Amino acid sequence: MENDRIPPERRRFFLIIMLSGIGAVLAAAASWPVWQYLAPRKGVGEKEKVTIPRDQVPLGGTHFFTFRGHPAVVLQEKAGVFIALTAVCTHLGCIIKWLPEKGEFECPCHAGSFSPTGTVLGGPPPKPLESYPVSVQDDSIVIG
Amino acid sequence: MREANVMLLAKSCLLLLLALVAPGVLFAEETVCIQCHGGQPGRLGEPVNLWRQSVHAVNGISCHSCHGGDPTDFANAMSPARGFIGVPKGEAIPDFCGRCHVGVREDYLQSAHGEALGLGGPQCVTCHGNHAVRLATPDLINPQDCTRCHDYGRADEIKSAVVETDRMIADLEHSLEALHRVGIATKEMRGELFSLRNDFHRLFHSVDVEKVRSQTADYQQKLGKIRNRGAAIEEELARRKLWGGVVVALLVLGGILAMLLHKAYLDEERR
Ligand code: FES
Repeated sequence: MENDRIPPERRRFFLIIMLSGIGAVLAAAASWPVWQYLAPRKGVGEKEKVTIPRDQVPLGGTHFFTFRGHPAVVLQEKAGVFIALTAVCTHLGCIIKWLPEKGEFECPCHAGSFSPTGTVLGGPPPKPLESYPVSVQDDSIVIG
Repeated sequence: MREANVMLLAKSCLLLLLALVAPGVLFAEETVCIQCHGGQPGRLGEPVNLWRQSVHAVNGISCHSCHGGDPTDFANAMSPARGFIGVPKGEAIPDFCGRCHVGVREDYLQSAHGEALGLGGPQCVTCHGNHAVRLATPDLINPQDCTRCHDYGRADEIKSAVVETDRMIADLEHSLEALHRVGIATKEMRGELFSLRNDFHRLFHSVDVEKVRSQTADYQQKLGKIRNRGAAIEEELARRKLWGGVVVALLVLGGILAMLLHKAYLDEERR
């Protein structure tokens, strides 16, 4: 047989090299997803903050902005009291609206309504709106 | 004793299976409205059957969600004291439906259709039907229906302005659904799409060709963004599939090499 011409120890050596190579590639392939999972995320850090000039948020009124890639809203409920919430309805994802005359947020899709602090007042939304920390620094409102 | 246990186990399994396969409709089925009206002939029972095929039934919106009343109490189900409001008259229909469909109501009321409300103009039910209401598509704009009141020209213009965007929305819904089925978290994208679809459907309730045309590009651009995100996920899945294939091939090759190595050892021993 052709095999007999090559001494078995050389065959063994060759096969061990080949097998270790494949083993190394497989080990790398297995650790890649683990590394991807553990590695810190690129792009927007969770700590990103948004600063909005205070005069953009009138008393009893709102200002819509983008917070960490998602629509959000900040409301000046009482003089100097600001509340920041996600503007995405927790029912099916429509963007809520502020109704100043009612003092409520309303979702135009199925009439879900939320209080100024984001709790559900009525309609189909299953959960309150997520709120974000707000602080006032001089003439700015800092969210996040 | 053991038989009883087996029976109990079988029953629980059956219940679990039912809970898993039964759609949201199950919840709506329980109400006294359906129990009573479901069995009645003619005008009183018909709405129940029509409603069963509706998008409302699929989403668990039952009789009392629109007509009010108490769905748990036979005696007081239709008592105004329990919030029963019965059947709205023609002109009151937009307000009736608009309790939930606020946005659409707003745009409709400002439209030529809305202005003609009470003067022979159409309201929600004229186009969408009532109990058998389906998910709205541009097919609702068609010569038979529109020419009941006016000629088809402008309606056709609106239809051609919305058809392409609506097709984009439907395609996107399908591809997100497919991604969801293979285990990708698409809730956020689906929410954005739902919101866009709703805004877009609101828009053409304005029945204003110019407005629809001028805003369509904006909608298409936003839809394009969602589509790109979906496409990126699809690409990633394809890449994973490819690499998965490579790994399997390497494992097979490794197996063959291990066999040969085993043989080499045996040959060495034999010498
Ligand atoms: S999406 Fe907001 S109430 Fe349905």
